[in-house]
Amino acid sequence: MEEKKRTLWGELRKGFITTNPLLVLMVGLCSALAISTRVENCIFMGLAVIFVLTCSNVIISLIRNFIPDQVRIPIYIVVIASFVTIVDLTLKTIPAVYERLGVWIPLIVVNCIILARAEGYASSAKVSHAFMDGLGIGMGYTSVLLIMSVFRELFGTGKIVLFEKKVIDLHIKAVPMILIMFPGAFITYALLSALLQWYQARKKPGAEEG
Amino acid sequence: MMRHVLNLGLRLFLVCAVAAAGLGFTYTVVKDRIAQEEAKRRARAAEAVLSSIQAQPRESEELTALLQPAFPDLLTVFEGLDEAGRRAGYAFVLKSKGYNFITMAVGVDMEGKVTGIKAVSNEETPGLGAVALDSEEYLSNFQGKGPEPLTLKVDVDAWTGATFTSKGITNGVNKALEMWRKLQEGGED
Repeated sequence: MEEKKRTLWGELRKGFITTNPLLVLMVGLCSALAISTRVENCIFMGLAVIFVLTCSNVIISLIRNFIPDQVRIPIYIVVIASFVTIVDLTLKTIPAVYERLGVWIPLIVVNCIILARAEGYASSAKVSHAFMDGLGIGMGYTSVLLIMSVFRELFGTGKIVLFEKKVIDLHIKAVPMILIMFPGAFITYALLSALLQWYQARKKPGAEEG
Repeated sequence: MMRHVLNLGLRLFLVCAVAAAGLGFTYTVVKDRIAQEEAKRRARAAEAVLSSIQAQPRESEELTALLQPAFPDLLTVFEGLDEAGRRAGYAFVLKSKGYNFITMAVGVDMEGKVTGIKAVSNEETPGLGAVALDSEEYLSNFQGKGPEPLTLKVDVDAWTGATFTSKGITNGVNKALEMWRKLQEGGED
C-alpha cells in the first residue's frame, strides 16, 4: 500500500472511501458517535478536525527527519495538542459555538484519527502528500459525521435546525427517539458501515486500492 | 549513551519550546476577546437573575473588592438597581464545584431571598449534569428560598442523574447567601 504510486488527487480521494477513517479504519469513533446528534455540531467539529489534522500532518511531515524515533510519540502529541489548543482558544471568541462544542474540542487531542495519521502516514510522507492526506481524511471524517447526523437528527427529532433556523421539518409527532440517543448512534454507524462494505464488495476486485 | 539521552531531550525540548511560543502568541491575540465575551456573558446572566425583581444590574468593583478576600470563589458582584435607582438586590457571579466547575450567577434581593439562578458556563457532562443547569424549571425551585442556608433534598430536590450538579448549585446558592449576610452585617445599607 505504501509503495503504490501516490498522486495528490489520490491522496485526497482515498479518505472518503478506501481509507475512510470512521468506516474503514474504524478510528475516532468516540467523538463521532457522541456528536452526531445535531448537524450543526458536526459542521464545526468537522472543520476543527480538518484543521488540526491537516496542520499536524504538515508539521510532522516537515520535521520527520528531526524527530528521534524514541521520543516521536510525545512530539506528535505536543504538536497535535498545540493545534487543538489554538482551535480551542479561537472558538472561545465565538461563544454561541463554544457553548455547544466546548467539551468536545479538547478531546480532539486524543482522537485516534490524528495520532494514527501522524504515526502511520505523515511521519514517512512528503509534505505535499501529508497535506492532502490530512485534508482528505478530515473530509472523509466530516462527511460521515454529516450523513450520520442528518439521519439521526431528521428521524430522531423530526426536523433539522441549523443556526436557529428550521431547515427541514417533517411535521411528524411520533419520532423514533432512540435514534437521537446512544443506541441510535451505534445503529446508524453499523448501517453505514455495512452499506460501505456492500458497495465495495460489488466493485471489481483490485480496481481501487489505497 | 549520555550524549544520546541529551540529544533526545534537546530535540524534545526544542519542539516544546516552539509549541509554547506559538500558543503564547495565540493567547495574547485572543485574550482580550475572550475576556470581553466572558464579561458579556456574566452581565447577561446577572440581568436574567435580577429580572424577577425588575432590577437592572450594575457591576460593582467596590463590593467585589470587599467580598473577594473572604470568598475566593467570587468572580464579580452586580448591584441590582430598581427604576428609581435604589438598590433592590445583588447578583453574585461565582464558581462552584459540581462534577466539574460551574460558573453561575445567583440573584439575592434585600430580604435575602433568591431571585434567580443562571449558569454562566459549565464543564458538566452534556446530557447529565448540564441538563439540570440548563433547566429553568429546575432552577426556579431555588427562587424565593433563603436567607437561611439551603439543604439539598430538604429545601430543594436533587435532579435525578445529576446529584453532583445539584449539590454544586446548592453550594453556590448558599455561598451567595453567605455573601449577602456579610454585606448586611458589614453596614452596607
